[in-house]
Amino acid sequence: MKASLQRTTWITRVTFLEAVRQRFFAFLVILGAAMVLSSVSFRVLDFGHGELKFIADFGFGGMFLFGSVLAVVMTAQLFFSEMDNRTALTLLAKPLSRTEFLLGKFFGTWAVLGVFVLILSSLLGLVMWGREQELLAAAEQPGKIPVQFSAGGLLSFAILQWFRLGIVIAILLAVSAAARTFLFAVVMGALAVVAGQLQWIAQDAVLKPTQNSLYGAFLWVTSRLIPNLQQFNIGDALVLEPASVPVDAVAMAVASGGFYMVAFLVLAALIFRSREI
Amino acid sequence: MSSAISVQHLTKDFRIGIRGLKLRAVDNLSLEIPRGQVFGLLGPNGCGKSTTLKIILGLVTATSGNISILGHPSATSEARRRTGFLPEAPYFHKFLSGRELVSYCAQLSGVDPSKVDEAVEDALSLAAMTEAADRPIGTYSKGMLQRIGFAQTIVHDPELVILDEPTAGVDPVGSAAIGRMIHAMRDKGKTVVLCSHLLGQVEQVCDRVAIMDRGKLVLEGKVDDVLARRDQHVMTIESLTPAAREAAEAALCVHGAKVTSITHPRRSLEDLFRELVTGSRDA
Repeated sequence: MKASLQRTTWITRVTFLEAVRQRFFAFLVILGAAMVLSSVSFRVLDFGHGELKFIADFGFGGMFLFGSVLAVVMTAQLFFSEMDNRTALTLLAKPLSRTEFLLGKFFGTWAVLGVFVLILSSLLGLVMWGREQELLAAAEQPGKIPVQFSAGGLLSFAILQWFRLGIVIAILLAVSAAARTFLFAVVMGALAVVAGQLQWIAQDAVLKPTQNSLYGAFLWVTSRLIPNLQQFNIGDALVLEPASVPVDAVAMAVASGGFYMVAFLVLAALIFRSREI
Repeated sequence: MSSAISVQHLTKDFRIGIRGLKLRAVDNLSLEIPRGQVFGLLGPNGCGKSTTLKIILGLVTATSGNISILGHPSATSEARRRTGFLPEAPYFHKFLSGRELVSYCAQLSGVDPSKVDEAVEDALSLAAMTEAADRPIGTYSKGMLQRIGFAQTIVHDPELVILDEPTAGVDPVGSAAIGRMIHAMRDKGKTVVLCSHLLGQVEQVCDRVAIMDRGKLVLEGKVDDVLARRDQHVMTIESLTPAAREAAEAALCVHGAKVTSITHPRRSLEDLFRELVTGSRDA
């Protein structure tokens, strides 16, 4: 058990090092950071919403968009580079199980996404704090009621985003374990993210009575097989109105995220076990 | 004592295309590779050599047949712990230094953490890579890549070493260095399985060879046995004058022997190359 943990940790370390050195990672971090920082300049386009809400939405959008792209492309890239460059041949000929290899890839990529979320959340927190101070100073002006933001709420949101990206990585590994090409894995992964974002539609439909039992069964399976990625997008409430969020909402979302990560990793390991390298 | 590798009735079919057409890559192959020898596995491209090696290493599953490594079923953790593998044209993470790579592989191969440093130094030394060990792998030449690949193969002191085309793309000097490493492994009592297209090198370093064609074993035996022509002999003579030659031919004729050719001995181009460029090691 200890030896297995050590081998997984080594794969994780090398995967992390490989990922953070990629220009693609640096490029998306810069793009995401630029989007967060530029939110202050675009706040005039707030369409009547509070400034902090606009800034927060802008930052959340950047984190969601670039984080999803990073999770999909980087996971597939890290997996297929091992296959195409035949480093997997060298590694899997050693007393390293395929499950350990896959888990190492997962944790290495998840750690990189953790760094990404941490950087963007920290930047967003700084931008919001700076603007909050300005708004507090101008609070005496008529018609300006400043909204304060919750740093704890931002931290909770960052954790939720990290778990959401963890699910995406696990799905990508399951797809990559079966896929023959990088492009197929990326396209299927992107579709999975879209399906996860729209999963609530299936959940709503399940609640409505239907005469067609086949359709009902399809909706039931769909609503459980596809993770609901929307449940992680409660940043507005967490950061700007933390009191409105039920105490166990974050814990439930994290538990759900953990469940889907484990489920998709088990699926990935089963598929990868029979893959010919 | 069991063989280093025992392959019994191994068959591998690949399904290709949507209709699942069957392509037989290995056809009822049976092979015993004895311990402590250098064994050459030869054959043209697509004859099933690499597939056989991958099945032995558990990277590909066999359609039928049994394989054991050092008495253990292949693809088990115990079998892999005692095996080292260098794939053809190996690629390693360019951002790691040679020492980091060998250390990484030692950790994955189950070397005791307290002995990793010592094992890494030994492997680097045997592969003649100590001086360049701290350079990033991205700066290595092809020959150095093969040598660092060799170091990661042997870092956990395996009993069985499998080398797939270890000299592909390497110049004769580097190739000779790899040949010396193979001999060093044999001198330590290890079994080396060598898969190569370079027949000259196989002839020089291997004790036994097997030749595969279209997935089947067509020949297996000791190198000397399979190459020797028992009905003919070669004599090397110095200062042979025309008169001495005539006398020798006449004397042989008396005994019913016939001289079919007299030529000057030649050294190989590889030997000449190595002689001329000795000292310009692949650095």
